[in-house]
Amino acid sequence: MTQSITSLVADTFAIRRKFLRMHFEARAGHIGTGLSCIEILAYLYRVWMREGDQFILSKGHGASSLYATLHHVGRLSDADLDSYYKNGTLLPAHPAPLALPAIPAATGSLGHGLPIASGMAYSYKHVRSTPQRVACLLSDGDCNEGSVWEAALFAAHHQLDNLAVIIDANGLQGFGRTEDVLGLEPFADKWKAFGFAVREIDGHHLGELHDALSEPPHRRPLAVIARTIKGKGVRLMENKLEWHYLPMNEEQYAEALRDLDRDEGRVVP
Amino acid sequence: MRVDFVKSVSEIIAEDENSIFVTGDLGYAALETLAANHPRRFLNAGVAEQNMMGVAAGMALTGLRPWVYSIAPFTTYRCLEQIRNDVCLHKLPVRIAGNGGGYTYGIMGSTHHALEDLAVLRPLPNIQLFFPCANDHVAAAVRAMSTLSGPAYIRLAISAFSTQWSHLDENPLTLTRRYSRQASPSVTVIGVGHGVQIALRALATTGLAHENVDVFGVARFPLDLKSDAALCESVAASRRVLVVDEHYLSGSVGEALRLALPRARHFEVMAASYSPEQRYGNPEFHLRQCGLTPEALSALVGDLQTRPA
Repeated sequence: MTQSITSLVADTFAIRRKFLRMHFEARAGHIGTGLSCIEILAYLYRVWMREGDQFILSKGHGASSLYATLHHVGRLSDADLDSYYKNGTLLPAHPAPLALPAIPAATGSLGHGLPIASGMAYSYKHVRSTPQRVACLLSDGDCNEGSVWEAALFAAHHQLDNLAVIIDANGLQGFGRTEDVLGLEPFADKWKAFGFAVREIDGHHLGELHDALSEPPHRRPLAVIARTIKGKGVRLMENKLEWHYLPMNEEQYAEALRDLDRDEGRVVP
Repeated sequence: MRVDFVKSVSEIIAEDENSIFVTGDLGYAALETLAANHPRRFLNAGVAEQNMMGVAAGMALTGLRPWVYSIAPFTTYRCLEQIRNDVCLHKLPVRIAGNGGGYTYGIMGSTHHALEDLAVLRPLPNIQLFFPCANDHVAAAVRAMSTLSGPAYIRLAISAFSTQWSHLDENPLTLTRRYSRQASPSVTVIGVGHGVQIALRALATTGLAHENVDVFGVARFPLDLKSDAALCESVAASRRVLVVDEHYLSGSVGEALRLALPRARHFEVMAASYSPEQRYGNPEFHLRQCGLTPEALSALVGDLQTRPA
């Protein structure tokens, strides 16, 4: 792992702390789903995104981790972030339309992000002939939706090698484990069969994210299956369905911060 | 109407380098020339309407202005959430075209009829709806759509309407057409889109032309009655309105007119209707089956005339 990638570890801790504070203060749920994609977002916004590139959060319920990341990289103001979840905010639980320049599309109903991202990538590659790229982050639940697979057919057919699909595969969805609800395995084979270049990685490992995303395939879209842990970084939440919904109490918040301090090697009193 | 539509949109595509045509795998013997003339700005998205509408939204987010075309039910009901979330909520200039509005797909059967398309789109934010009254009305609608910075839908009827009764004038803003003008009308007949063709046939064949009626065709929603002064004056004079709409009643533009024209003391809507016992045939057969005929329209006008103004 290069030095710049190693330094991203500190970013992920900073984003997690910001994210947890937002959720604690707002008494808001969707914590587990946000924690599973923070390395992915930190990598995209710190390293991958170039001027003019676009990011579509198809898993709209991960909005708060996107807000925390955008604030961390200076693309969201303090005032906006402080308004999260409050009456009058432009930062609701799922991204709002026409609200923030940094977020081009409102999402929250699953299965919408990849068609939009594919349309953008098609426009850049085949109509405008510009070098912009598009990244799109999906959840397991997203991949239950037929529209995702319509878009997968489309992206592969049109050889959208400027499109990077990342699936935050934490294995848990709305009301159960993905393998019990609507199994996606063999998941990598599915994306391969649709015509994608597929890379399967540990979605919390920044070096693996870098290796998977830094070399785009030729004339094929990329699918990165990022195996992640829902609730990653907070022991009491890891791999637990209920943390899709529950807010934290004061004690849980303190415990969550202690976990982060311990993992970062800080002295825990 | 499809021929007129393709001709008009082809002009827009030729003029505007940000316009792109997207079809849901339809357009045989209609779109070949457009595709050949503009290979970079013509896309067959396949039979995947949800993706097609999302793709169109994505294209629009990059500054393109897509025209999305399919059979009306497929480009509305199948991808309604994409229209609502991806297109309308973002106020994107996606122009949706639904071919075969009403019963005009006739013998193709119920799956191909579009009798609720305007009802499902009407409440959506930011979208404007166009429903031309006749073939020679399509170009004006396409032109108006092309100037909008937000979403629009056009309801096309595949039937080739022969002009049995010419319009007297057309409002350049609302596209409302006037077909008959009386000094003090007893009834104001309003056709919604190509539904006005039923009234025009009544004018031509049933003696309606000899009755004291005004006839209008509306073609655009949201209604803009402030701009449609002639229509409002007619209703104020007649106080009896008959709307004819090739669309189910619930959610129809006819219903919207009822709310918007409170000065009408008597208000009747002739609309399409469903029956589980319905049979299938050509568009004419379907209109007859649910009573949308020139004869029924004339009879209802006669009935309205007996009611006190």
